[in-house]
Formats: sequence, C-alpha cells, structure tokens
Amino acid sequence: MLYKALILGIIGIIVVLDSRFFGRLNVEQPLIASTLVGIALGDVTKGLMVGATLELISLGLVNVGAAAPPDMAMGSIIASAFAILSGASAQTALTIAIPIAVLGQMLGIVIRMGMSSFNVMANKYIDEGKFKSATNLHIIWGMGLYALSYFIPIFVAIYFGTNLVKEIVSIIPTWLTSGLTVASAVLPAYGFALLLSTMITKKMAPYFFIGFLITAYANISVTGIALFAILIAILLDQIIYKDKSSSKDDDSLDSL
Amino acid sequence: MSEDKSLKKENNKKYWQFFWRSWAIQGSWNYERQMNLGFLYGIAPTLDRVYKDPKDIDKKKAAYKRHLAFYNCTPQTSSFVLGLSASMEEQLAKNPDDFDPESISAVKSSLMGPLSGIGDSFFQGTIKVLAFGLGINFAQKGNILGPILALIICFVPAYLVTWYGAKWGYTAGNQFLTKLNSEGAMDRVMFIAGVVGLMVIGSMVSSMIPLTTPLHMGTTFKLQSTLNTIMPKLIPISMTMFMYWLINKKVNTGWILAICIIGGILASVFGILKA
Repeated sequence: MLYKALILGIIGIIVVLDSRFFGRLNVEQPLIASTLVGIALGDVTKGLMVGATLELISLGLVNVGAAAPPDMAMGSIIASAFAILSGASAQTALTIAIPIAVLGQMLGIVIRMGMSSFNVMANKYIDEGKFKSATNLHIIWGMGLYALSYFIPIFVAIYFGTNLVKEIVSIIPTWLTSGLTVASAVLPAYGFALLLSTMITKKMAPYFFIGFLITAYANISVTGIALFAILIAILLDQIIYKDKSSSKDDDSLDSL
Repeated sequence: MSEDKSLKKENNKKYWQFFWRSWAIQGSWNYERQMNLGFLYGIAPTLDRVYKDPKDIDKKKAAYKRHLAFYNCTPQTSSFVLGLSASMEEQLAKNPDDFDPESISAVKSSLMGPLSGIGDSFFQGTIKVLAFGLGINFAQKGNILGPILALIICFVPAYLVTWYGAKWGYTAGNQFLTKLNSEGAMDRVMFIAGVVGLMVIGSMVSSMIPLTTPLHMGTTFKLQSTLNTIMPKLIPISMTMFMYWLINKKVNTGWILAICIIGGILASVFGILKA
C-alpha cells in the first residue's frame, strides 16, 4: 500500500502542476486524472468509468479569477483509487469524490491566502537586490507548496483510508445505492447548468436547444453534433458577416 | 544575412521563454495579487538583460517592483501581454527619457481583462467542453481513446495561441490588437466558438443525464411513455433548467450540491426518479 500511495501521490503532483506549470492543459480534469489512476492501479476500464462519471459534473466548474470551485482533481484521484481498491461502483466513487473535493477546495483557499505573504517577501528581496530569490518564490516555493498540497493529502488518504472505505462500502444498503445512482444522474445537470450560465446569452440560447433537440429526437451522438455544429457555425459566420467584411478579412481570419 | 539569422534565432529563444513562462504563470497564485509573481518570473530574464550594468541597479529594482502589481490573465493569452511588456521594457531601457514607465503598467492592466475574458471562455468554455464531451463519449464505452483525444484537442489550440501570442505580442504588439478589434475578427471567433460550445452542451444534456421516472398507474398508464410522446428527454432538460435557475438565484454551490445529492436520494426512495 505504501507503494500505491506513493504512486498516487505522484499522480497528484502531475495533476496539480498541470495548471501551475503547463498553463492548464486539462490533465487535471477527472477524466484524465482517473484514467492515470486506473493505469497505475491496473484497472483502466474502471478508471475510465469513474473518470467519465466525475467529468460530467466537473465540466461546468470553470476556474475564473478568484473563484475556487470544488477541487475535483484531488477528489477524482482519491475516489477512483478507492473505487478500484475497494471494488465500489462509479456512482459510489462519485459520492466519495464530492466531500473530498470540498475539503480540497478549503485547503486550496488556505494555500492561496498563505501565498499572499510571498508579496511582502518579494518586495523585501528586491530592495536587497536579491532578484533571484524573488523569482524563486514563484518557481520553487510556489510550485513546491502546491505540489505538496496534493501529494500529502492523497498519500495519507490512500495509505490509511482504503480499508476503512472498503468496510463502509460493504455496509451501504441498496436503497442508498440506488438513491446515489439517481443523485449521480442529477449532478451532471448542475454541471451543464454551470456551463450554460457562463456561456449563454438570449441571442445564443437557440443553439443550445438545437443541440439538445437533435440528440433528443434523432439520437445523434455528441461527436456527430460537434461536427454539425462546426459546419453550421462556419455557414452562419459567412451569412452574418458577409456584408460587413470583404474577402481580405476572410484571409485574416484564416491566419489566426 | 548572418546577422538576420542570429537575430531570428535570438528572437525565437525569447518566444520560447515567453511561452514557457506564461504557462507557468499560476505557480504562486495568491488571493492578494493573483498571478503577479508569475508575471514577474516571466519578465525577469528581460529585465536582467536590459539592466545588466551594475550601475543600473536602481532602475532594475524599480522595474522588478513595477511587475509585482496585481495581474491575472489566462496563461495562453497572457503570452501576448508578456511579449508586449517585454518589448516595451526594452524600449524603456533604450530611451528612458521619452518613455513613460507607467505606460507599461497601463498596457498590462488594460489587456489582461479582455484577454482573460476571451481566453477563459475559449479554453475553459468551448475547447474544454468540446474535448471532454467527446472524451466522455468514448470513455463511457471503456475506450482509452477518450482521454487521449480530449488531451490532444486541448493541447493543440493552447500551444498555437500561446506561441503566436508571444510572437505577435513581442513583434507587432499594439497595432495587431487594434487591427483585430477593428475588423471584428474577435467577434467572429467568439461567435463560432459559442455556437459549437452551446450545441455540444445541448447534445450532452440529452445524452448524458439518464434520468427517467418510474411513476405509473396500474399497468396501462406509465408517466414516462406519456412524457416521451410530448418530448423525449423532458426530465433531463427540465432538471438542467431548474439548476440554471438556482444558479441565477445565486444559490450557494454547497447548497446546490446538497440539493442534488439529498434530493436525488429522496426522489429515488419515493419512486419519483430512476437512473
């Protein structure tokens, strides 16, 4: 278990450095994090299942400005590890993930508050002419603290918590498991609604309902809708912006 | 000719520096000034280069402090601001008399707002939704292609925007942005991104929320069949609209999560909903 806890802690570091060091390439998303856990623990299918379930909720949690959404990255690593190690279902993993995500969010808030003290230190270093120390606060201390803030909780949870979770999972009654299954289907509705609230305007609302209705009535997959949507968007762009722009502008768009 | 080449090589080195240091901008994200230390880290090599001379140490200190101010921008679009600020710092060091240092801070703060707005909605809204919408689709069938595809879709635009952002910010800078705005190209990109993003979300609402109702009277009346004749997937869309309404009412995230979980369990126990 020590070895597994270490590996999962390292996955935690990879996941947190995604947004700290690689400009948020979305390795931190539950689908990727859970798949990594699945690969590490030798059950890729389960990792994919848990990842897909958690991803549906977290898609809507957009990191904008100072808002700290529940930390689904940490939640999904611990939850998918528990699901694989204790044999729990993806739905049960979901309900483990959410409290952990909320705890992770609180830890994140504390760290982000604590790092405000770096500003005072940086100011002092610059006065003293220690320029390297000032930038090291960012690239070494900042990164290091964020990495530890993932490694330690994940390591502790996996090393000490797996057996406990296994026991709890075995005594869950069926009404609760089917209840959790319904809850896990309601949660994505919240995720999608969050996404909508950041993207939708009165003018753009019909596109959302077009996408919904086509899939509802014709059962076309998300991939299919995405392909149609790209073509529709290009056509509409040509119609709407036709009068306003000359052919020269079309070229400038291509060069974007 | 060889001078041209060495200049190009030197510039390329700078672009890569802006590139990596923009991606690493959130490394010490803090509540007080957010990505300020990240920005300082990004521009530090430029400052070190232009104020190499030990007698410029006071100018260097002032420049370092200038970039300690509040900063927040999407990492991918931030490379543009970093490139532009770096070229302005070079200008300032060359002509300290006819260049106002304040203008660098002004450019930074005027650019970070719109570039975050565009960057966040493009990368976190459209690209992420598209990538993971497709990814979930594959993953639910147990296909490892799901996460791989999602990562590739996220990586390619992030890479391109950051790289060209750094390059255009450093070389063309100001003129480029005004040109883009005046031609309305930004609006068009946002429009296309919005249409694709919203249609994909709509499709996901109907295919990824497996809620139905088991309510029935005797064997002849099944509520779900009646609902299906009105509109398939009526429950998923109503649930999403209900959540949207809660969000617009500014209900706290914690409460909504509690409503989802406890409400879901109760609805299942009383036989109202089934998944």
